[in-house]
Amino acid sequence: MADGPQPGTAERPSAHGAHVVLDSVGKTFRRAGRRTVAVSGASLQVAAGELVCLLGPSGCGKSTLLRIIAGALDPDEGSVTVGGQPVAGPGPDRGFLFQSPMLFPWLTTRKNVLFGPKAQRAAGTDERDDPELDAEADATLATVGLSGFGDAFPHELSGGMQHRAAFARAMVTRPSVLLMDEPFGALDAITRVRMHEFLLRMWERYRITILFVTHDIEEAVMLGDRVAVMGGRPPGIREVIDVPLRRPRQLADADTEQFLAVKRRVRAALAA
Amino acid sequence: MSGWDYGSLSATGVLDARAPSGQEPGRGDDLAERAELLAHRQATRRARLRRLATGAAGLAGLLAVWQVAAVILGDQVALPSVSQTVAQFMHYLGRPYPAQGKPLWFDLYISLRRILIGFVAGVTIGVAAGAAMSASRVVRHLVDPVIEVIRPLPPLAFIPLFIVWLGIGELPKEVLIIVGVIPVMAVTTVAALDEVPEDLRLCARTLGATSRYALLHVQIRSALPGILTGMRICMAGAWSSIVAVELLAATSGLGFLIMQAGDYLNTALVFAGIITIAIAGLVLDTGLRGLLMLADPSRRR
Repeated sequence: MADGPQPGTAERPSAHGAHVVLDSVGKTFRRAGRRTVAVSGASLQVAAGELVCLLGPSGCGKSTLLRIIAGALDPDEGSVTVGGQPVAGPGPDRGFLFQSPMLFPWLTTRKNVLFGPKAQRAAGTDERDDPELDAEADATLATVGLSGFGDAFPHELSGGMQHRAAFARAMVTRPSVLLMDEPFGALDAITRVRMHEFLLRMWERYRITILFVTHDIEEAVMLGDRVAVMGGRPPGIREVIDVPLRRPRQLADADTEQFLAVKRRVRAALAA
Repeated sequence: MSGWDYGSLSATGVLDARAPSGQEPGRGDDLAERAELLAHRQATRRARLRRLATGAAGLAGLLAVWQVAAVILGDQVALPSVSQTVAQFMHYLGRPYPAQGKPLWFDLYISLRRILIGFVAGVTIGVAAGAAMSASRVVRHLVDPVIEVIRPLPPLAFIPLFIVWLGIGELPKEVLIIVGVIPVMAVTTVAALDEVPEDLRLCARTLGATSRYALLHVQIRSALPGILTGMRICMAGAWSSIVAVELLAATSGLGFLIMQAGDYLNTALVFAGIITIAIAGLVLDTGLRGLLMLADPSRRR
C-alpha cells in the first residue's frame, strides 16, 4: 500500500491494530415508555490497521455503534469483539476521541497526556515510573508537534492544537483501536483539512485500527479504506463501499476522477 | 520544522516528499508559536497588574473624597475624617470598648470564628447534599422542593427562632450561618456536577481510569470551580448574616462593637468597625478566589 519505507519504530514502540468484529449489533433505547431503535442488525468486520469511516445522517446510529464498541453502551442484540476479545466496559485498548477535544482544563497539556498512564498506575495496570512516563509524554507531544506546549493549559491552545493534544493523550496509552466520533466536526474548514492530513500521517505512523464516524461524504472518502454507509429504518449499516485510492493518501487526491467516482457511489448509497 | 513538527516524522519516512514541512504559508514554526504563547502570558500578567493598579487608585480616590468631605463638613459625629477613623482603629485595636467590653481584635476574632465554623459546616453539608442530589434522582426530587422553599428566605428571619430554640450563646449564630450556606451550596453543587459532560467521564475511562478514579479525578474535580464560586457567594452572605445577628442579639463581635459605638456617637469607631469587616471580607474572598484560580487555570488573568 505505502509507496515509501515503513514507519520506523526504533525510537518508540508503535501501537498495533486489532481487528474489530461487529455481529448483528442492535440497541434500543427506552425512555418514558417510548422505544427508539438506535441501531439494528449492524455487522461489520474491520481488519487490523484498517481505517473505516461510518457515514450517515444524524440519528442513523453511528455514534451509538461507536459507543457500543467503546464499551460505554451495552448492545441489546449481537456481539462485539476487539482483537478476538468480547467488549466489556470501556478500556484503554480502545481510545476514544470526541467532537470536542475533552481535554481536562485544569491540567497542562503534558499532564493531560499523562492522565491515562497515571490513572492506570493508580489502578495497578501500569507499572512504569515517573521518568519513564515523562519521556513517553515528551516523545508523544513531539510526535503531534506540541513539544513547546507541554506547560500550556488547554485554553491557551488553538482548536487544532487541542485536538492534537487529545490525540496524543489517547495514543500514549497505546490503544489498538481508535474510535473517533466526528472529531473535527466543530473545526473550521481549513483547520479541518489540516487535521485530516495530521490524522493520515499519524495513522501511517501508528498503524492502528481506526473507526471514524462522520456525516461528511468528502471526509469519509478522503480518510477511509472503506466507508460504511448507515441509515434506514430501523437504522443500520446499508452498504460498505471500498475506497480504492492510493496510500499514503494526499489531500490533492480529492481532486482526482477516482475520488469523485467513489464520492458519487457513496452519495447514491446514502440516497438509496 | 513546521508547526506540527513533522520533522520527527520525515525521519521515519512516512512524510511524503511532496509536502515539504515548514513551507506551508501562514503556519509559523514551533518556536514562533511557543514565543507567541509566552508573549500572551506576559501580556496577561501585565494586564492583571494594570487592573490591580487601577483598582487601588479607585480605592485611594474614595479615601481622598471621604477625607476632603470630612474636612469641609467639620462634624466629627456626622462624618469623621479618615485620619480620625484610623486613630480610633489603632486606639481600640488593643483596648476594650466599651470599658467593660472587649478590644477590637477580639471582636474580629469572635466574628471570624462564628463565620468560619458556620461556613465550614454549612459548605460540608451543602456540598454533600448537592452531591447526593446529583447522584440520585429520588434524593433530588425529595430535597429540591425543600431547598426551593428555604432558599428565598432571608436567614435573618430565623434569628428570633434560633434564640428561642438555642439561647443566646455561640450556637444560634453558627446555625444561622449554616442555614444560609446550605441551600446555596446545595444548588451550586448540583449545578456544577450536572454541568460536567457525561463524555468527560467516558473519556477518562477510555484512558484506563477506573470508575472510582474517574469520579474523583474527573467528575468531582471538574465541578470544583463551580463549587468554589458557590463558596464565594456564601461567604458574602455569611458576613451580612453575622453582622446582623451581632447587631441584634450578641455581646461580642464586630456587629456588637459597631452598635455600641453608634449608641455612644463614636462614629469614627463605627467606620473603623465597618472597614475592619470590609478588609476581613476581602481577605477571605481573596483566599477563595486564589483557590478558584488554582482550580481553574482559565481564570488566571
